[in-house]
Formats: sequence, structure tokens, C-alpha cells
Amino acid sequence: MDFSPLTDALASKSYHRIADICDKLMLQVAYEGISFRDEWPYAIHLLGHIYVDDINSARFMWKMIPFDVKESKPEISAVWKIGQRLWTKDYGGVHEAIREFNWSPECHTVVAAFSELYTKRMFELLVSAYSTISIQDTSLFLGMSEDDAANYAVQQGWTMDAASRMLTVKKQVVAKEQKLDPSKLQRLTEYVFHLEH
Amino acid sequence: MNLNMNSVESLVAQIQGLSGNIAELSQLRTYLKHSDDLLRAESPRLAPVLNELDPSVHSLGYLYILFKEHVLLLEDPIRGVAPLLTALRKLQMSSEQLTTLHPEFLVLCLLSKCYKTGLSILEDDIFEVDQPRDLFLYCYYGGLICIGQKQFWKALELLHNVVTAPMSIISAIAVEAYKKHILVSLIHLGQFSTSLPKYTSSAAQRNLKNFSQPYLELVNSYTTGKISDLEACVQSNQEKFETDNNLGLVKQVVSSLYKRNIQRLTQTYLTLSLQDIANSVHLNSPKEAEMHVLQMIQEGDIYATINQKDGMVRFLEDPEQYNSCEMIEHIDSSIQRIMMLSKKLTGMNETMSCDPAYLGKAGRERQRFDFDDFDTVPTKFNI
Amino acid sequence: MEAEHEGSRTMIEEDEILVNGGNDSESRRHRPIISGEQLDVEAYAALYTGRTKISRLLFISEKCGVATMQLEALRMAYDEIKKGENTQLFREVVAKIDGRLGPNYGVDIAWADAVDRRAEMRKEKLENELNAYRTNLIKESIRMGYNDFGDFYYAHGHLGDAFKNYVRARDYCTTSRHVVHMCLNAILVSIEMGHFSHVASYISKAEQSQDALDPVTIAKLRCAAGLAHLDSRKYKLAARKFLETGPELGNNYNEVISPQDIATYGGLCALASFDRSELKSKVIDNINFRDFLELVPEIREAINNFYTSHYASCLEYLGNLKANLLLDIHLHDHVETLYEQIRNKALIQYTHPFVSVDLHMMANAFNTSVTGLEKELAALITNDQIQARIDSHNKILYARHADQRNGTFQRVLQTGCEFDREVRAMLLRANLLKHDFNLKTARRH
Repeated sequence: MDFSPLTDALASKSYHRIADICDKLMLQVAYEGISFRDEWPYAIHLLGHIYVDDINSARFMWKMIPFDVKESKPEISAVWKIGQRLWTKDYGGVHEAIREFNWSPECHTVVAAFSELYTKRMFELLVSAYSTISIQDTSLFLGMSEDDAANYAVQQGWTMDAASRMLTVKKQVVAKEQKLDPSKLQRLTEYVFHLEH
Repeated sequence: MNLNMNSVESLVAQIQGLSGNIAELSQLRTYLKHSDDLLRAESPRLAPVLNELDPSVHSLGYLYILFKEHVLLLEDPIRGVAPLLTALRKLQMSSEQLTTLHPEFLVLCLLSKCYKTGLSILEDDIFEVDQPRDLFLYCYYGGLICIGQKQFWKALELLHNVVTAPMSIISAIAVEAYKKHILVSLIHLGQFSTSLPKYTSSAAQRNLKNFSQPYLELVNSYTTGKISDLEACVQSNQEKFETDNNLGLVKQVVSSLYKRNIQRLTQTYLTLSLQDIANSVHLNSPKEAEMHVLQMIQEGDIYATINQKDGMVRFLEDPEQYNSCEMIEHIDSSIQRIMMLSKKLTGMNETMSCDPAYLGKAGRERQRFDFDDFDTVPTKFNI
Repeated sequence: MEAEHEGSRTMIEEDEILVNGGNDSESRRHRPIISGEQLDVEAYAALYTGRTKISRLLFISEKCGVATMQLEALRMAYDEIKKGENTQLFREVVAKIDGRLGPNYGVDIAWADAVDRRAEMRKEKLENELNAYRTNLIKESIRMGYNDFGDFYYAHGHLGDAFKNYVRARDYCTTSRHVVHMCLNAILVSIEMGHFSHVASYISKAEQSQDALDPVTIAKLRCAAGLAHLDSRKYKLAARKFLETGPELGNNYNEVISPQDIATYGGLCALASFDRSELKSKVIDNINFRDFLELVPEIREAINNFYTSHYASCLEYLGNLKANLLLDIHLHDHVETLYEQIRNKALIQYTHPFVSVDLHMMANAFNTSVTGLEKELAALITNDQIQARIDSHNKILYARHADQRNGTFQRVLQTGCEFDREVRAMLLRANLLKHDFNLKTARRH
């Protein structure tokens, strides 16, 4: 089995490519009739799906892993625990599942990268969904201590009311490109032509 | 034919010899059917045989051996996924053509849980079909894959094709597709129209509903908007749903009703307290209501902001202003697709109006019904 | 309501009644019969004659739930039945009274037997006569014979037989006047039986004989049509028919309906189904109907208050009337629906001109709580009857103006998606049909 594309991706921190690389590799290896189940990097493969937020694929992957392999490699179950929390939208539980396990060096970097990405995703979710939120909940969503969470939020422009332990969210204005390029006009002409004929 | 049916080698020779044209292929098919026992007995030796065959040339034989080895013996379906995909692509004249391998490939994907890989061929627009059976299975299995990947929109389309396809007698697959179509429609659209489109075959019109009573009951109780009604209905039909392997989807239907009810509130309220939301959609606490609202915001089902300080939610309008470049790009590509489809439709219409078989039939029927209004060219589609 | 106030109003009514050709028994009324106060059963019953009087009394006794009123109604029904020949109904009413009205209201077996005996003889006589007419083939006599039979059965409470015989007379009608007469009989029995589809069809049959329709008959047909539409819950059509009823009706149709009923039924249906301009042109400015409305001032006031946007007062008038309207044989099943529709219309109209509405003020105007109002408004918004959204936090209702530009974009994209999907499905189906067709032709060859 040639895992070089995977090792390359890991080395270049292109974690979003893990899932596709592993999927392809697995199909190829299976086609060649090689028994791969004992050597397959299931934990990394699962993480790959989780990293790109493809929980469906992670779920099917988990179902496909032979029982005895799951038994013998607890790290696989630990990764799936993250997936499960994501699947059930247990936002704070994801951070817990990340912290709970003592990751192997290969997984550790991917998990750390995911953790950072997930915190960012959570912060964006809070920005879009809340106008005010308690420091306690913020710390839960971001997986930080209350002090750290409050600092993080204030750094992003939120304001804090120390008395009520409430944060007021600062909405981000997303500027969207509005310019129209001239080729669009050409196309519009073609449409009108199409409609008239 | 005097064939030596006893060796794998002669089988390979037959496959290589008999892949030239349709007549030979049907000969080969008979031959392969007679070789069942041999294939079963020799299954460990089959893998190397595959290397001697080129899937693009010897597709039928290739497929047959592959199936004997992987699927029918249920050994290790994942082994067939990659080669079958290659074979499928080689066999296709264009990406618009449906091959016999399509459904077989999807079955392998389902069995080996490679749903994502299965999805890759479902993105193609299929317009050319040789065997109705292929289309039925392709749409049904494709529907299952899309459901697994939560691509409900596409799943609805595929299942709809199965339900409304021309058929002279009702097939089990149409019934199963109808049941799933009901469930996915409730999950994704929050409604289901029990009236079938008028182009649906009369076999389906007559029979589908009789075979799907518990599902239609589910639709009725869903429509009341009351969680308790829906849960009672699920309870009383639980066994039925379970034997149909649909209990998972039914559970998704139930949780979608909470969403639907919250969505309805957004049409009515500008602001509403979490407590009131919990009360009106029958959730246990304001916190639970908050989590539901949050998930819906995350999934883009609603636009809202939660104000924890006051325990209120403010519902917002869709912020889309239809003026970004991205949106214009989207509209543009949509228009182009429609132009492409219109052209196809016109093309097909023209081919049909020149088809002597069609004209003969249309002519006969027109004469039978209407002597005065005879015209040779059928009316153009209005698009 | 104060006594003096009422007194002055009744004066006008009495005049109106006389103008309308009212009979003497009614002029002794001193207050409107349909009002907010507990129903004066005697005065109410005096508005009607014949079978409907008995039916209405029995209906009241069944629905009122007040023992004294129930007994009074039964007593009057008993008295009324004894004037007629319906011994079966007599026995039923006696059973209902169950001795509670003393010995004078028991089973008068002698009376019943005498009536039944007379009925037997009468029936025999009618049969012989009819047979004789039929052998002699005298059309007019046969018609009369069937008619007499109809009357006979009607009087004895055999409504099905009565209907059959009235309708049989149809083949022997020689003038359009006869046809109209036959139709009116059929309509009368059908209303009694609650067969309103028959009512509708005999109305249209009667209306074909335009030349034989006098103003009174036309008014009767309008009333009957109004009742038929009311029964099928087509309130707008019902309202139109009642509003078209001419003043000639007077007390000429008391075996079915009273002029007060025209005002009540017509007024409520109009309130529930007309828009503001219709309410003005077809009800308030309708001189004929105004005469009817004077008979039931509470309905008149409700309509005027509704039109002038005094909803609380309108709803209060209606609220006061409700208990009595629920005792009405024709209105009973519709009161809740009509009231709900009227209330909803009032809520919709109230919000219509505003950009934002303070829910506290609105709740005051409708004499309800803010929470209750919120629920009502939410239901109306959900049904797309009010285009607004509720700011439940600040208790304000904001009108919602659909963004046409965005809405159009949204619809265009959606239509595009649907077209895309449908065309692809269509092409696939065409492919399958072609395959099937080719297969069949191949088999044939």
C-alpha cells in the first residue's frame, strides 16, 4: 500500500484533502484484493471526513470498520466520539471529546488543527445567531475557560457587561462583490435572442 | 454449440470471443447463466481472470464475473467499486447515457457504505436510457444514497422518477420508492401532496396508496402540526415502519416537525420569547427552544438572532439581496441550463415528429378520434 | 339597556309592523323579541304559525338548558299540537313533558283516538276520490287529489309522504300558477325535513315560471334560497338572498320564517362575508332591508358599529345576542362560525390601515387580553389573512410589505429549478415510452 499522497497531505497540512485521498486509496487497494483492514489508518481517515464537516461520510465510515479493529484501536472510537457529538449537535461536547483522549502523534496534529477550525466555526455561529450571550455559554461553545472566552470575544469587538456576565455580539458586515463585468451584457443579449427565437 | 463448460480458461475465451455485437452478447448471457456452478466453485481463481479482460470491451463478461465474485457471494463488495466505476465510464458513449452498470455500481456503493463515491455518478444528467429496469434501479438506489448523504432534494427527484415512470403493473420497487418519497418529502419540504401528477401510470395511480396506508396516515398527522398526533401515529405504525426499514427516516420526520413549527413562527412573529417558542412547539424548556433555533440558524433554515439577556429571539428576513456577483453567476448558470434543456426538448420533439413509427401511431389515433382535425405534425411543446 | 330608551324604539317598530301588514297578536309586543335578554318564548312563538312554530318550540326546549323555559316551550308546543292532527308528535311531546305540567298536559287518549279515527276515514275518502279522478282522467281533479293527500300527510306529520304527493301533482299542473304552488309546497316540506338540496331545486323550478310570480311569492323564494345557502354554509350567497327579500314578505311566510329572522340571518351572514363597501351599499343603504333591521335593533347596531369601526361595541351587541341565537333552529349550527368570521374580519379591518399597531390599544378595542389577542393575530397571520408580524417583546404589530424585487428573484430561481427538474424527468419518461413502444412493435413483427 502506497500511502505517500496521504503523508504528503499531512506534511503540507492540507488536512481538507485527507478524506478524498483516503477514499480513493481505499477503493484502489480493495480492487487489488489486498487485505487492508488491519493496517488501514481509520482514525486519520475518519478525522479527514470530520475536518471537512462531512459527518455523513464519517458515520458510514464508522459503520464499515470491523468490530475487532475498533476494539483493538481505541483511538478510532475516540475520533468517532467527536463525530458523534457533531452529529447530535452537542456543541460543547465536541471540545470535551477532543480534550478527553491522549492522541497519538499522527492524529494529534490533525485533531489540533480541527480544534482550531471548530473554535473558529463556533465563533462565527455565535456571531450570526446571537445578539447577547452569557460568558458561561460562550466559554462552552468555544471550549475555553470563561476568562479566555470573554477575552477572545472582546478582542473581536464584542462588549462585556461584567455585572450580568453577558456579552453583546458585534455583527460583522460582509462586503459582497457587486461589480458587473461586461461579458455579462453579451450573455444577456444571447438570452434575449434565445427567448425571441 | 459444443462448449467445454468445465474450465475457467474456456470461459475467458468465450467472453473474449463473444463480445462483438448484440446477438453475440445474448449468446454470451445464456452461456454465463449456465456457468453459475463453475463460477461458484472457482471463485478464488476469479480475481486474476479479471486482469485478462478489458472492461470497455468485455463489459458483460467482466461484470458477470465481478458479480459472481463480489456481490452474489457477498464477500467484499468494496472490491468491486473502483473497477465497476472504470467500466461504467468506459462503457458510456456520453455522460448522459445510463448503462446497465449504473445500478450495479450503486448497489456496491450501498453495500460497501461508500455513499460519497456513489454520489459522484448521480451528479450527471441522465437522458438516454436503454432498459427501463436500469432506470428504475438506478433511481431507487440513487435515492437511497442521496438520503444517506442527506441530499434530500436530489433524492426526491430520483424517487419521483421511479414512482411516476410508465409501468403496466405496479412494481415492489415503485411502492418502496413511494414510501420513501413520502418520508423525504415531509423531512425536506414539510408537506406531501397525495395527488400524483397526471402523467403517472394508471397502475401506480390505482395501487400506490393502498400499499402505503401507514405512510399516508403519517402525512395526515404531520399536517395537523401537532407533535403528539404525529408521535401517536408513529407509535401505532412502528412495526410497519420497522419492517420497511424506514424507522430512521420516520424519526427524522418527527424532528423535522419541530423545525417546521418554529419556521412557521418566523412568518408570524418579529420577536418571540424562548419560553413562548417552547410552549408553542411543545419543547420542554426555553433552553431546548434556544438549541433548536440555534441549529436552524446554523443550517440556514431560518434567519434570526437570539438575545439571551432578554430570553428573546428576533426573526429576520432572508438577507439575500440578489445583487452580488455570486448570485448573478448563479442566476446566469441557471438560465444557461434551462436553455440547454429547452434545446434538448425541442430536439426530441423534432426527432419524434419525424419518427415513422410515432407518426403512424399518432395518425391512426387521430383518425380514429377526429377526422377533421388531422395534422401530421404534433403540436409544439410550449416552453 | 334603559327602559325609556327601549320604549321609544318600540314605537317605531310597531308602526313598521303595521306597514308590513303585521297581525294583531304581534302588536302587543313591548320590546324587541330577538334581543340580549332571556328569550321571551311566548312572544317568540307568536311570530310563527303552523309546524315551524312547534318545531322551533321543541328545539328551544331541547337546547335551552333552563328548566322553566323548557317547560314553557313544551306547554306551548302541546297547546299548538292539539290544534292540529299530528297525534304522533303529540305523544312524543307528552313523553317529554313527563307529567311535569300537571294533569292538563297528559296523554289525552280520547282526543288522540278521535283524531286518528277521523284521519282513517279522511284518508279512505281521499283515496276513493283520487281513484275516481284517475279513472276519469280529469287532470285538474287529479292534481287537487294529490294536493289534498299532501296536505293530509303534512298535517299528520308524515313529511316524506306529503312531499311525494305534492310532487306527484306536478304532472297534472296545467298552469304555471299550479307549478309555482306545487313548488312552494315541496319547498315547505323540504325545509321542514332539512332537505335543502330539494329546496334549491324547487326554487329554480318555480323561478322558471316568471309570469306566475307575485311579489310575495318572490319574497318567499328568496327566503327559502337564503335558508338553503345558509345550510350549505355559503354565507355570502345566503346574505345576498336575505338582502334581496322584499318588504312584501311581511308575515306571509310565518309557517317558515319571520321578518325578524330575515334581519338576523341576513345581517349576520353579511357581517361575516361582506367587505366594507358591500356592507355599505348592500346592507346599510338598502332601504328594503332597513325595514327588516328595525325589527332587531341589536343587529342593526352591530352592523353600524362594525361599519364605523366601533368593533368592541359591535362585538358586545353580538355577544349579548348569542345565547338566544343558539336557540334558533336554523342559525344554531352556524352561530360559532359566523361569530368567528365576524371577529376575524373586525381584527383584519382594524389592522389594515396601520404600519404598526400597539397591541395594548388593540386589545382594549376588542375587549380582550394582549396574550389572547396575540394568539388570534398569530392565527390570522398564519392563514395569510393579515400581512404583518408580531413583535411579541414590545407588543407591537408591524405591517409587512413584501419586497417585490427580492420576491421576484426568489420566484424566478424557484421556477427555474422546477422547470429544470421537470424537463429532465419528462425526457426520461419519453425515453421509457419510446422503449416500451419499440418493444411492442418488435414483438408484433
